[in-house]
Amino acid sequence: MALRIQRMPSSTPMIALAARVVAVVLALLFTALILAMNGHAPLDLAGEVLSSSLFDDFGLQDLGVIFIPLMLTGLSVAIGQQIGTWNIGAEGQFYAGAFAAAAIGLFVPAPDWLSILMMVAGGFAAGALWILIPTLAKAYADVSELISTLVLNFVAALLVYYVATGPWHDRMTNSATPAIPAEIPELWGVIHWGFPFAILLAIVLSLVLSNTKWGYEVRLSGSNPSAAKYAGIPVRRHLITVMLLSGAVAGLAGMLEVAGTVHRLQGGISNNFGYIGIMVAVLARGSLVGVIFAGAFMAFIQNSGIILQTEGLTTSSVLAMTGLILFLTAIGEELSYYRITREKI
Amino acid sequence: MQDENASTTSTPGTPPRVYLKGICKYFPGVIANENVDIEVLPGEIHALLGENGAGKSTLMNILTGIYQPDAGEIIIDGYSKQFASPIQAIAAGIGMVHQHFKLVQAFTVAENIHLGWDETPKRVSASVLEARTAELAKSFNLDVKPGARVSDLSTGEQQRVEILRVLSRRARILILDEPTAVLTPAEARELFRALREFVSHGNSVIFISHKLDEVLEISDRISILRQGRKIATEQAADCDPRKLAKLMVGRDIVLDDMRGRGAGAKPKSAESVLKVSGLSALGDNGLTALRDLNFSLRAGEILGVAGVAGNGQRELSQVLTGVRPASAGEIIIDGKPMAGMKAGDFAAAGIGHIPEDRLHSGLAPAMSIITNAVMREYAKPPVARGGFFSRDAAARLAREIAGAADVAIPDFAMPIRNLSGGNQQRLVARREMRIAERILVAAYPSRGLDVGAINTMLRYIVELRDAGAGVILISEELEELLNLSDRIAVLYEGRIMGILENDQLDIDEIGLMMGGRSRIRAGEAA
Repeated sequence: MALRIQRMPSSTPMIALAARVVAVVLALLFTALILAMNGHAPLDLAGEVLSSSLFDDFGLQDLGVIFIPLMLTGLSVAIGQQIGTWNIGAEGQFYAGAFAAAAIGLFVPAPDWLSILMMVAGGFAAGALWILIPTLAKAYADVSELISTLVLNFVAALLVYYVATGPWHDRMTNSATPAIPAEIPELWGVIHWGFPFAILLAIVLSLVLSNTKWGYEVRLSGSNPSAAKYAGIPVRRHLITVMLLSGAVAGLAGMLEVAGTVHRLQGGISNNFGYIGIMVAVLARGSLVGVIFAGAFMAFIQNSGIILQTEGLTTSSVLAMTGLILFLTAIGEELSYYRITREKI
Repeated sequence: MQDENASTTSTPGTPPRVYLKGICKYFPGVIANENVDIEVLPGEIHALLGENGAGKSTLMNILTGIYQPDAGEIIIDGYSKQFASPIQAIAAGIGMVHQHFKLVQAFTVAENIHLGWDETPKRVSASVLEARTAELAKSFNLDVKPGARVSDLSTGEQQRVEILRVLSRRARILILDEPTAVLTPAEARELFRALREFVSHGNSVIFISHKLDEVLEISDRISILRQGRKIATEQAADCDPRKLAKLMVGRDIVLDDMRGRGAGAKPKSAESVLKVSGLSALGDNGLTALRDLNFSLRAGEILGVAGVAGNGQRELSQVLTGVRPASAGEIIIDGKPMAGMKAGDFAAAGIGHIPEDRLHSGLAPAMSIITNAVMREYAKPPVARGGFFSRDAAARLAREIAGAADVAIPDFAMPIRNLSGGNQQRLVARREMRIAERILVAAYPSRGLDVGAINTMLRYIVELRDAGAGVILISEELEELLNLSDRIAVLYEGRIMGILENDQLDIDEIGLMMGGRSRIRAGEAA
């Protein structure tokens, strides 16, 4: 009898899920080990994290507030994956959406309900606009979207920083705009209506992909463009539409952050949500509904990080923990294709 | 004759430069080489002639140390050698210029020449490398620009860099794989001049080709391979194209005539379902791949397309199905010009397409069997209703196609790449036959399949013909073409060399056309 490692052509959903669970557990164990080596008591810290997030009303509300933007940026990246692209620019599109929302909220006088609607439309449009150039470059000149979406992140972040501390700044704070009068109504504590809206958006988009002709064409184009061309599908048109949609959803996330949570525009408003959204999409394995669960999990990790900081840990250690999860998940993903078989020699 | 032979036959006692003795190489289920004996003499240009799959590449991979032979011996200058790796073959003076160059595009000519060479100086600068390269180029009389970036060079210039790189390693045996396939006629003449000069110093060249005329022009002797075995070695001076063609393709053809129509079959109609006039198209590299094609296809007829792969077959199947645009000329289907139409319009006009590379262009390997099965009919009822995609109807259609293809599928949601190649091809064929009401374009439908699956595939094609569709069957298997086709067109360098009626053709003539000789019966007979 000998053990052989064999690569299978596909992995079953159960094994893929198990690989993710193992990856997360291993990452937590590593983190605990490092914490212990630095003189902390990992079990006490874990208890503290759980009691002040999952078992506490205010903790749950904090989770929800982080969940909304994370889930939406994750959804944005996952939408891009449907057509075979990596939108690394959700961060920039988030800023663009936040910028547009603040501009409308601050400078377009209107009743609150109308102002909110205009901000939603503006958030969508600004996000789409921010990915427009990478999209056209990809569609017509085959320029990799990885770099072109990434570099625009810095442009957007600096633009927002500039207006928030410069021309639009509030005399009192100097680091943010004045409060925006129109606010998205709250649902439970600080959680606003963006929460159910975001979840509904993911479910609706998922249904559209699997139950419409357009969705079929998009999925085929993303999986093998040359087979899609052979089937007579306008691959380029779908690429443009889907990438713009991806940007629009990230823009919506930025808009909700401004109009629902922060109520003003400030530098660094994205909190890296755009980048963490990439992790959310990876954890969700490209499933739009899976983004809801992956987003909730990442929100928990981020929130835990904030709690740990109040316990004296550094932000870098939290960042290291999320990095470990992504790293181990990627390994687990690859390993889930392998089986160990026994064979007689 | 006597004198010419003398010039290439060495004096007694001088060993051949290369002696391949009884070489055998087997791959699972395939005899790549069996008992091949070839002698290459000093000062000789020796051509290896054969169709695709005749075993030329395997034999050269053995000589250059990429493969180890299962039996037989490699004897260089009288000494038996074993090459465990290409490095040892290079050290023994064997150099190969591959059909696809192995140059670093972003590097300069001088950098490419010195890459991975133990004589490259330890401390280098661009000017030192370029000076050394210029010197080498001068000594071998090859015109290259040492400072130029490889990506800026024409293919002919890149080939000279490849040759210079091989020669600078002191190669005395130069192997060229289809070297003129990428060259213009002027560049080819330049190459021939350089090769003649190289052998005039007592070196040897092995020249792989399937073009009869150029083999006759450049080589001293010609060895013909067929189905892994050496058929003959001839003095070039004793050969003519007809003789070579006969040796190259003249195998024992197992005729299993499938041209007869059964009782229920629709007869060949007088009307043409497809008319092509003046059709040209560009290849992926932007060069003309099809030139001025003219032919028509009748309903209920199978038109075979013969030729060595890479002579425009891929482009032909794509242009006839709307996947690739035509650069000139006209495609008329059922009297309707298809100018400006896309793949979807061709499919809607009743044209099915079994593509050359099913995994790359006919299927999305990572997606489910259902997704792949409905690829041609997702846009019409029952799968599509309005803008909606019915997953139930899609699953039903997939089951129907799998049933017709007689493929047992445990789980229709699993990725189609989990199926065997034969089963994938059956599903593709059945899927395409459903829409091929007028025409089926089948490119290499039996490539990579086992005998049973090949028979199934050919049966499908006959079935479709009997239902009254016109079929274009592109294949490199002459037997397959002779057994099925009513007429056979031969493609060579993007041109149709001639179209022959199957019941009055001469197999040697097809061989001649595949080697680039056009159909001039009267002239040839003389």
